[in-house]
Order: sequence, then structure tokens, then C-alpha cells
Amino acid sequence: MSAAQHQQLVLGGVSLAAFVFFVCLILSSRRTWFGIFVAFDLLLAALMFGTVAALDFSGWRAEIVAALLTELPVVFVVSWVCLAQAGRLPSRLGALPVEPAARRPWLRTVLGTAPLFLLLAWGVAAIIGLVWPSPAMHAYAPAPPQFFLFKWTIMVPEGFYSALAAVVFVMTARSPTSALRLRIKNLAFSAGTFCLALIALGSTVFAGVRLWVSDGSRRGILETLNTMETCLAIMCLLAFAFGLTLRYTPAIAGTLLRQFQTGWLLAQERFESLKWRAVTTGRVRGVIRASHHVAEAANLQGLSGSDTEKALATIQLVAVMQNPSTETERITPETTRELYELQEQILRDDTLATKISWATSWGSHADEPQTVKSAPLHDALKAALELVDYHDEPVDVRARPLWHHLVAVSAADARLIDPARIRTQLGRQPEHHVALEAYHAAKSLSRSLTLDDQQRRVDHDR
Amino acid sequence: MAIDSSRIRLPGIIVKGARVLGIPLRGFNISRRSASAARTLLTPEQFQEELVILDLSGKRFSPEEYSEALGNHLGISIAIHVIPDAWYPEISRRLASSGRLGELRYSEASGLAAIIVPGSLPPLVLALTVLHELGHLAAGDHLIESDEGRREDPLEHAEETMFTTSRIGRGKRLSRGFPLADEDLREHEANLRASYALVAGCLGSESPYAHDMYNVL
Repeated sequence: MSAAQHQQLVLGGVSLAAFVFFVCLILSSRRTWFGIFVAFDLLLAALMFGTVAALDFSGWRAEIVAALLTELPVVFVVSWVCLAQAGRLPSRLGALPVEPAARRPWLRTVLGTAPLFLLLAWGVAAIIGLVWPSPAMHAYAPAPPQFFLFKWTIMVPEGFYSALAAVVFVMTARSPTSALRLRIKNLAFSAGTFCLALIALGSTVFAGVRLWVSDGSRRGILETLNTMETCLAIMCLLAFAFGLTLRYTPAIAGTLLRQFQTGWLLAQERFESLKWRAVTTGRVRGVIRASHHVAEAANLQGLSGSDTEKALATIQLVAVMQNPSTETERITPETTRELYELQEQILRDDTLATKISWATSWGSHADEPQTVKSAPLHDALKAALELVDYHDEPVDVRARPLWHHLVAVSAADARLIDPARIRTQLGRQPEHHVALEAYHAAKSLSRSLTLDDQQRRVDHDR
Repeated sequence: MAIDSSRIRLPGIIVKGARVLGIPLRGFNISRRSASAARTLLTPEQFQEELVILDLSGKRFSPEEYSEALGNHLGISIAIHVIPDAWYPEISRRLASSGRLGELRYSEASGLAAIIVPGSLPPLVLALTVLHELGHLAAGDHLIESDEGRREDPLEHAEETMFTTSRIGRGKRLSRGFPLADEDLREHEANLRASYALVAGCLGSESPYAHDMYNVL
């Protein structure tokens, strides 16, 4: 076995061992598209190196072909890494570029050209090698200048893109907004790609030594370079394997977040805006007066601000649901129930339900912001559905909060819902009587204030 | 800034393959029903890239901060006017009757954009309405040439998620793609951008999309 065959056998063995490891990795929960790709690439590399080690080449052209084939796995993996960093992989394999590339369009463009230039360089090297063949597999023999040209044509772009990818990984790892685990992961990938760059550099030096160094010291240098290449290949594989084992799971799942962004948030906004339009244009009968009485009664009973908000949101919803005009036709008991059920799903994720918030008043950060959990619409939806969409269900004896009773009394008084039904449904609960008294007191107060106001105007006119 | 200015049209598969290989195909366009003159609606990933450009990726931000960063990027001044109902109740009524929640006014000559929203809007709707109008500015909808308003080629819809884009005049925009030609789609995309912005601003470094930019392999 020649020295070159021995070296190919060692690299083939390393690739095979790494392939087995990556297969175990992709069979576990730490599977990524890159992991799968690397596993196949390593299998290809092991087959290539093994074939080259097993076959005895009779001509220089055959040696060139063997040398070209063993470079392909490296070309593939560097291309993948650069494309992933540039965000140019097909969307299902990963759509986002790394943060430094997204910030610098020129860097993204350069990274995106990796497959083109690497394959082009490989093709040019193939032409050079086949037109002017050289002993590519005679590791310690002196080489003609065309071997140097052949080797450099492949190795310079390979080394450049590997080094660039390593630098980009370091830049990504340095970002302060990145999680610690992801920083370590990027540093590991940086080490891996840096090893690839060093292997490319080593190969160019190897070609130079074969061309220029005299017979006496050449063998010693080349043996050292071969050992270094093997060590770098092992380190590269270990670094990539370590990086891939570092799995990072964000606190909020992307699928749920997508559902939240494109489903719940837009539905909630549509719902609230339709309600606002209906109330602002006065299309919902009786809601302004009913809201006023509810707010006054809540004040008399000393209800909290959030309970009063829930009561007002509920009375508006009931009014809108019971007055389906052109503008509000989309707010039906069915759509209300759909939104409520969607909201229930979102609320099961406590992180999402508490983190997403919005200011209660524009430009003021003094007030506590509303969250999905604290916003009044969720309870209001439930209360409105209970009051409007009952489908002749048996009487529900569960106790309701006072604000719910206030809304029921007010909605019944404004003839938005059937008063008899409310009496049957809620009449036996003590809070209902408290709500009735408070509501009537608020109504009387409002009427007397109106009368006083009228009297003052008459006096003023006189 | 015309989009349909290409001389030679290539089959979509060639152009897509060239993109994967990193081959720049300037001056070429994709044949009908493919990209270049058409694009998909904004995705959360694309919005995340916009946040990187605004230096807001992985950070918590309010609609006011988003507005400031966007204004700086576009080189225009954006003023947000939340009008209390007590001052001008007719604004709320006029907007509500017309089925709108806010208005965006843009003056190219003075480089000013004004967003007008009624103060009586519910808090969530108010935040999303402001972000919606800012989304129009980010998309470059304000740069659309007037005669391009509703031009839409129905054949483009044969490929489900691709939509025709519009010609635009001089001016800077944040979005990488051209504004969509169809007005309803532009409104829908502004809603999406508002939704993405609200969520990204609340989650900051906890956003999974922000983390995806550090986890590409």
C-alpha cells in the first residue's frame, strides 16, 4: 500500500466512524437537516476514500479523478454551510440568514456565491488535471508545476469560503442577544469550519512542498502535513458533532406563535374594531345608555376597574351580537365562540399569554399594560356567550361575579336579551338582587341628575 | 424602479436553481406565474430580517420605538397623532363610518408621514392600527405610482401564494420585495406586519425567530 493509499484509508476510517456517530445523532431528537446532510456527506466521503485506498491506479489521469472525487464531500459541506449562513437554502431547510449576514447585504451575497465558485473551481481543476495530468496520489513523490496549479485551483476557494464561514460563526457567537448555548454552538461550528480552512491551507502547502522542496527533507515535511491533516479532520468532525448535539429550544414554540400572530391577534383585532365601529357610529341600539348605567352601578358597588371594563365590554358585545347590521354581521354567536375557543388555546401557554402586552393608553408607560390574560375581552366573550347563545340549556346554578349580573340586568332592561330568561337563569343568586338594586339606583341617579340639569338650564334661560 | 423591465424571460425552475447555486441573474426575469414580478406575502422570518436592519432584532420595543427606527431608516419624519374623542369626535365617527381605523398621510416633498388614529380605539386595536400604518411605510406602499393602484393579473393567482407587485416611484423602503399590486393584499400584509411587530416587540430576545438567526445549522 502506498503512502497516499494509507492516508486515504485513515481518512476513510475517520469518515466512517463519524458517519456512524451522525446516524445515531439524526436518529435521536437532535436531528437537523444539516445533520442528515453531513451524515450522507460522510458516507460519500468514506466510500470515496475507501475506493481510492483499495484501488491501485495505473495512470496519472486516474489519480486526478480520484483526487477530484475525494474533494467533493468538502465542497458540498462548505457550500451548505455558506448557503445556510446567507439564508439561501430552500425555506423548509431554514429560511433565515445568520444575524451578521442579515445586517450586511454584501456578506450575504459573498456567502451565497459559495456553491457557484466552489463548483466552478472544482470544474476548472478537473480540466487542468485531465489536460495536464500529474501524480496526485503519489504522496511523497516530486510533483510537476501543473500539480501545484491543480491543487491550488481547488484549495484557494475552499480555504477562503471555509475561513469566511468561520469568521461569520464567530461574529454570530459574539452577539449579545444570543443565548449562551447558541453562542457555544456557533463557536463549535466556527472551530469546525476553521479546521476545514486549515486543511485547505495544509493541502496547498503540501503541493508546494512536493514541487519545490528537495528530496532530502521532503518526506519528513509531507508526513508531518499528512498527520496534521488527519488531526484537523478529526477535530473538524468532533467540533461539528459537538455543535449539533447542543440543542436549543426556545421558550415559545414557533408553531403556536405563528397561530397566535396570524390567527388570534388578527381575529381579536377585527373583533374589537368591529365592536368599536358599531358603538362609535351608534348602530347598536341602547348600548350607550346601558353602558352608562352599568358604569354608574359598578361605581356605586365599588367594583374594581378591571371588573367595570369587563362589564362594559360584555354589554357592548351583547348589543353588537343582538343587532346584526351590515357592519357587524361578522360578530355572531358562532364567530364569538370561535374566537373564545382560540383564546382558550392561547391562554394554555402561560409564557405567551403573559408576555404579549400592549399599552392601555398611548404614549403612557405608567399604567400596567394589558396582556392576553388580563385583557377584558376574554371574560367578556364568555359572559356574552352565556347571555346570548344559550340554546335552551338547563338552568346553570354556578355563581357568577357581580359584574356579570350587572350586565345581565342592564341588557334585559335595554331589551337586548329576554328579561324572563335572565330571571330564570340568574334570579336565584343573591348577587342578582344586589345588581338589580344597584342598577336601579344608578338609573334613578342618572334620571335625577338629568332632571336637575334640565332645571338648571331652565333657570339659566330665565 | 420598474419591475417588468426585463428583456429575457427564463423558466422559473432555472432561476430558482440559479439562486440556490448563488448565480446572480441580473437582467433576466422569470416567465409568467413565477417570482420577480410576483412574491409571497410577508413571513415572520422576512420580518425578522427587517428588524435586523432596524437594529431591533432580539430587543423589546414599543410601537413608538419601531416608528422612530423606521423613520430613521427611511429618512423621513413620522408623526403619530392620537386624537382624543373629546377634541374631535367627528374623526372617530368619520373613520368608523368609512370602515377604517386610522389614516396615513405622506408628503414626499417634505419627507413627512403622519398617522392619525382616534384615541377611543380599544388599546390593542390602537397599537395594531399604528403598527398597521407603519407597515404600509415599511412596505413602500406610499411610493406606489398612482396609475398602478389596483392592477392585478388574475393569471398570477394560478400559483397560489405568489402575488403581483407594483411599480414604485423614487424613495426608500424597508421591505426587500416590491409593494403588492392588489390593495386588499397590501392591507392584509400591513396587518401581518403589525401583528409580527407587536409580538416581536413584546418577546424581544425570547422570540424564536430572533433565535433562528443564531441557529442556522
